Amino acid sequence: MKSFVSRRLSSAALTIAVLALLVFWAQRQKSTLGDASFGTGYVLLAAIFFLASYNVRKKLPTLPWASSSDWLQAHIYVALGSAAIFGLHVEWRLPTGIFDSTLAMLYLATFVSGIVGLFWTRSIPARLARVSEEVIYERIPMLRSQLCERAQEAVLETVRSTGSATLGEFYSRQMHGYFEKTRGLGYFLRPNNRVRRRLLAELTEMSRYLSPPEQATCEQLFAMVRRRDDLDFHAALQWRLKAWLFLHIGLTYPLLAVACLHGALAHLFDGGLL
Amino acid sequence: MPQSEVTASRPQRWDVPFGDAMREEDVDQLLQIEPFLGMDAERFPAALPLRGILQNDTRVNHYQDGAIIVREGDYGGSAFLVVQGKARVVLAGLDSDVLGRQPDAKPGFLNSLFRQFRNPQLPEVRSHVTADTDLVANDSLEVADLAQTRVFLQDVPRVLENTRSVVLHTGEIFGELAALTRSPRTATVLADGEAVLLEIRWQGLRDLMRRTEALRRHIERLYRENSLRVHLRETPLLSNLPDEHLEAVAEATVFETHGDFQWHETFDSSASGDAAEAVVAEPLIAEEGSTCEGLVLVRSGFARLSHRFGHGHRTVAYLGKGQVFGLAEAIQSSLKKSPVPMSNSLRALGYVDVLQIPQSVLEEHVFPHVSQQLLSEAAEKHAVYCGEHHCDLQSDSIGGEQAQVETPLLEFLVEQRFINGEQAMLVDLDRCTRCDDCIRACAATHDNNPRFIRHGFRHGSTMVAHACMHCVDPVCMIGCPTGAIGRDRTTGIVQINDLTCIGCSTCANSCPYDNIRMVEVRDSSDAIVIDESTKQPIYKATKCDLCADLPMGPACQHACPHDALVRMDLGNLGELSEWVNR
Repeated sequence: MKSFVSRRLSSAALTIAVLALLVFWAQRQKSTLGDASFGTGYVLLAAIFFLASYNVRKKLPTLPWASSSDWLQAHIYVALGSAAIFGLHVEWRLPTGIFDSTLAMLYLATFVSGIVGLFWTRSIPARLARVSEEVIYERIPMLRSQLCERAQEAVLETVRSTGSATLGEFYSRQMHGYFEKTRGLGYFLRPNNRVRRRLLAELTEMSRYLSPPEQATCEQLFAMVRRRDDLDFHAALQWRLKAWLFLHIGLTYPLLAVACLHGALAHLFDGGLL
Repeated sequence: MPQSEVTASRPQRWDVPFGDAMREEDVDQLLQIEPFLGMDAERFPAALPLRGILQNDTRVNHYQDGAIIVREGDYGGSAFLVVQGKARVVLAGLDSDVLGRQPDAKPGFLNSLFRQFRNPQLPEVRSHVTADTDLVANDSLEVADLAQTRVFLQDVPRVLENTRSVVLHTGEIFGELAALTRSPRTATVLADGEAVLLEIRWQGLRDLMRRTEALRRHIERLYRENSLRVHLRETPLLSNLPDEHLEAVAEATVFETHGDFQWHETFDSSASGDAAEAVVAEPLIAEEGSTCEGLVLVRSGFARLSHRFGHGHRTVAYLGKGQVFGLAEAIQSSLKKSPVPMSNSLRALGYVDVLQIPQSVLEEHVFPHVSQQLLSEAAEKHAVYCGEHHCDLQSDSIGGEQAQVETPLLEFLVEQRFINGEQAMLVDLDRCTRCDDCIRACAATHDNNPRFIRHGFRHGSTMVAHACMHCVDPVCMIGCPTGAIGRDRTTGIVQINDLTCIGCSTCANSCPYDNIRMVEVRDSSDAIVIDESTKQPIYKATKCDLCADLPMGPACQHACPHDALVRMDLGNLGELSEWVNR
């Protein structure tokens, strides 16, 4: 089994070698007063088409072509190489016209979203794995709702059996909303454990005023607060892993369309498509 | 408008008999020969009569000279009784070409492409079921097998030249071990001249053995006579032993069975009891500190090799079929001329069959035929060194590939009995982005029905998902009344024949890993199929089939973009160690 390090090194070496050849060819064209922009443009367009085709491969998993993992490796290194080809194509200057600027912005947005996505796909799984429980994204709303019901049941039962409303009032004032509502967009963009720490601290403070049966329920609530926070953490990070891909793929189609149009226009302004 | 329900008769055992040529007079004839002659028909229940078993779970096969009856390496689902003529067991491996093996035909590019677009929209649609038709069709696999063109060995004397073989005569049974332990055939068997054999489906054999002590003893005697020597020859230090000494070793070898054959009935993977107590409760085969009494060879099943640590027992390794225990101590005892204490304990994990060769026999018949240097090397190679933090095994130290895997992971795999998995689905949660591409690929391959759950037991960042592991010992097959669940003959993949599954849930309840799901099925008009008598839905067992018909193997693994999911033989610790330390 090839280690990740050796795979990374060999893929990077191959990418650099191909890029070096392309730069050499472009320089040679330039030195002979030729025009490399059509050549680099076509290579860039081919690279973008290849990158976009990964989504097609994912949609047809029964076909006997290379594994998705090999495709992703090719996708990553072709994408990284495409940035250099893009630089070569625009001669390391940002375009000035509206159409070309739009195309450049679309490419850069797609590229940056890919880089950010790569970082997230490599870093978020390990953060999720540190949570004690593994949760399937689609089940999170159901698990949250079950947890909310259990918490409410536990508190109501304690109130009924002890006749004391101390814990019940605290629950309805401070905790019910936490269990019932979903977290806001701020938490989804940057999950943190501030609410969890605040609630656990308040619960600890409250426990000194509770009777032994209420304290037993309080212990259950401690665990439920933690579990709910873990579920929210999973929801936020798994959502992020899905959302970036949605954005990345969403940018690809306009990029493809505008890039094709750019190519056609370039040929027209150069004296015709044929 | 499609119907919401459609009635069908619930499938029963023996709806599809093993062969269609067993007439009443054939059964009468069988009852006149051993071992059936000695069987007491009264001991069989009314629902499962002896005649019924013979009529539905057996078939008579005619073979011409040189015809291959079973091939080495094929997974067995039946045993054979020589009724007439002779059969020759070839003890040395023959080439695949000679045995007429053909590679499986895989669908081409266009077929693979279109199958995805032909998938029904609703779950669990069975296109072969239509309203008012019988849910049971002919078992195409077995019927095809019955009518199959026999493969012949060409130029038998030349092929078998310099090859050891044993001739089986009328009344002898073979193939029972592979059939009952759900393992590959250990030898190729040919017809020696014209021969008539009775093939007994393993479900029938199981039921016969359950009620006939004599048959069980008969089969054990046959094993001792035929297969034991082969097993002994595969053992380190015994491979080159002169025949007369091997004979003496075979005579003295003791058969032992530890644990429960149906261990899955009491095993609870979710139980969170005291781990130390659980280890102590496992049936002890040999205890650390006790005097070495000889060599233990694992014949089938699994055993835990452990070493005392603190107040508990630390797992050093697990031993499976063909592996040996106590060789280092046996050699040291012989070299020092005094018994050496065992440095580890050996305990049965669920169920294990072992062979014990006594120390005195080793000293008299084995060690004198091996050089001192070879003995010292073997003792060194099989030694296990335990330090404060972990135990070190020499590479290949116990007769199989063993490598360094951190002790907690090893404990986890043993505790949950995942060591049984030959194609377990491991997910590296440090790399898995939870994108569900694996699930989508699985569904696309199985008519829009995913056949696993991306969830399961975890150890650190390693998760063993709920996907059929195609176990070494598939206990799910034990109770199946119709034999609908069985191994593919050549690949060993555990498959469910949807046509003969009666939806009894026995396999799903038997699977210790909860990897089989019972589902309601729909007919081709999308109506739920219900039993015509009880009006209850008819269920079918479903599970991962390892995408046996796909050219590139399991779709789940192929679809994982991040190298997070892998199908792996957990009996191969070397492979596991490589994967964990990528």
